[in-house]
Amino acid sequence: MSRKIAERAVLLGPRQSLCGILTRPAGPAAGDAPAIVILNTGIIHRVGPHRLFVLLSRALARTGLTVLRFDFSGIGDSDTRLDGLSPLDSCLADIRDALDWLEAECTPSRVILVGLCSGADHAVLYGYTDPRVAGLVLMDPSIPATALFYVQYIGQRMARLRNWVSFIRGRSGIVRLWLEHTAAAVWPGWKARTLTLQNMRTHPDLERIYQQSVARGLQILAVFTAESTRQTYREQIIDAFPNVAFRDQLTIELIAGSDHLFSTDAHRCHLVDVVTVWLAQLGLTTAPAPSRAEVVAPP
Amino acid sequence: MNPFYFGTSDRRLFGIYEPAVQGSAGTRAAVLCYPWGREYLHAHRAMRQLAVRLSVAGYHTLRFDYFGTGDSAGDMEDADLAGWEADISAAIAEIRDVTGAAQVALIGLRLGATAAARVAARAASGVNALVLWDPILLPGSCLPAMDGAPGDVAEMQGFRVGAAMMRDVRAIDLPAILAAISEPRGVRIFIPVTDRTPSHARLDANGLLAVEYINSAQPWIEDSATGGTVPIEVIRRIVQWLA
Repeated sequence: MSRKIAERAVLLGPRQSLCGILTRPAGPAAGDAPAIVILNTGIIHRVGPHRLFVLLSRALARTGLTVLRFDFSGIGDSDTRLDGLSPLDSCLADIRDALDWLEAECTPSRVILVGLCSGADHAVLYGYTDPRVAGLVLMDPSIPATALFYVQYIGQRMARLRNWVSFIRGRSGIVRLWLEHTAAAVWPGWKARTLTLQNMRTHPDLERIYQQSVARGLQILAVFTAESTRQTYREQIIDAFPNVAFRDQLTIELIAGSDHLFSTDAHRCHLVDVVTVWLAQLGLTTAPAPSRAEVVAPP
Repeated sequence: MNPFYFGTSDRRLFGIYEPAVQGSAGTRAAVLCYPWGREYLHAHRAMRQLAVRLSVAGYHTLRFDYFGTGDSAGDMEDADLAGWEADISAAIAEIRDVTGAAQVALIGLRLGATAAARVAARAASGVNALVLWDPILLPGSCLPAMDGAPGDVAEMQGFRVGAAMMRDVRAIDLPAILAAISEPRGVRIFIPVTDRTPSHARLDANGLLAVEYINSAQPWIEDSATGGTVPIEVIRRIVQWLA
């Protein structure tokens, strides 16, 4: 398999308003290979924190896969939408536009969505709705708190002086979280009417979505970092969703020592290895992926 | 907006060309030079807005990623400042070729400003206006020392940085660079008031350069309260000065 890859800048979507980079093997792509679509993390544009998504795109292309990283409307280099959709609905519509473009341009057999933080949440919320999506790579997705989470979270923070200072000053995150839960319990109308990520973090909604994702046959790789504030232990995703029969459709990886944004080169390379090994185990790639790749001009 | 790759086959650079809006008089062009590292990520939104407003004001603009950064080819550890200055020159040549503009305005932010100043100071640079937005003045001792041996790499801001880049950046002396610019009236420096230091007095030691201190946010700094905000006052002043 060729070690060289080719990258080209693309504009996609009905108004050609979404800006992306398509990374492919320089030679012919494998016939039955899936395509990878990488989603924005928050307001960071498509290169990702510390260029993580550039590294990942090029490494996966070296294994023979086609990879698209693009900016949601209003993020990075993409224009804003003109249809008045809410921010969340806008992101979900953009993912559909990106997959439509990929289908017309590259005819992939299926698609794997990749996201970190909010990108992982967008991947979860979209994946089960589109039959073209076969898998999800979720880095630090939103996972509801469990009893063990609270024990470990509070325990960790009680050991830090600055958390006591925040508590005394009324800036404690855990207190705010508890107040939110209390408000939702005693006042059902507290929940916003529009679909927002904050709402979708509520336990029943997420559990239903994971149930449907598994029922649809999606393979899920959940990667957690040591400094995520959303989970404190490896199996929290399983404990949080007791009614989801993940079975062999869920692979969990914990990258010890990494912060939420994979801020060291070693942790970024570790992540690339984790993703490529997972794809290889699913039979979606055949070659191990060195983390760095030589880029050539597209033919 | 036209995203594309330019440069040589072994040094492919990602850029975004924003054409001037129709009806603008004459052909005016500008190249925007990004900052580096985390500052690049945080400032991306502000730089895009600057490019859009310049295009509305009649400038063809090109902003691009240096080799080893953003969507451009290469790894950061293989980059050096001399190479980035060559990338800026390649961007100037590219936009002159695309638009037919005889001269180009160069606008840089932070380390991008310093690199832009080094390019503009050269004879026949093709630069007729230089805007420095909170440039890096004298990084020197702020950076770790490296022995300079081949393969010597340090991790800075989460990136592996080679000895050549570290040596180049440690040697930066912006006041000396600016002293070599033959037409100081074509230079404008914008400094956020909150970032003002005694060192900034050295920028205009000869009284020839225009330095503006502006009450504005610093979009290249990660801040949960101001993240994603666009420092519209600085952008407005830059466009106003170039118009």
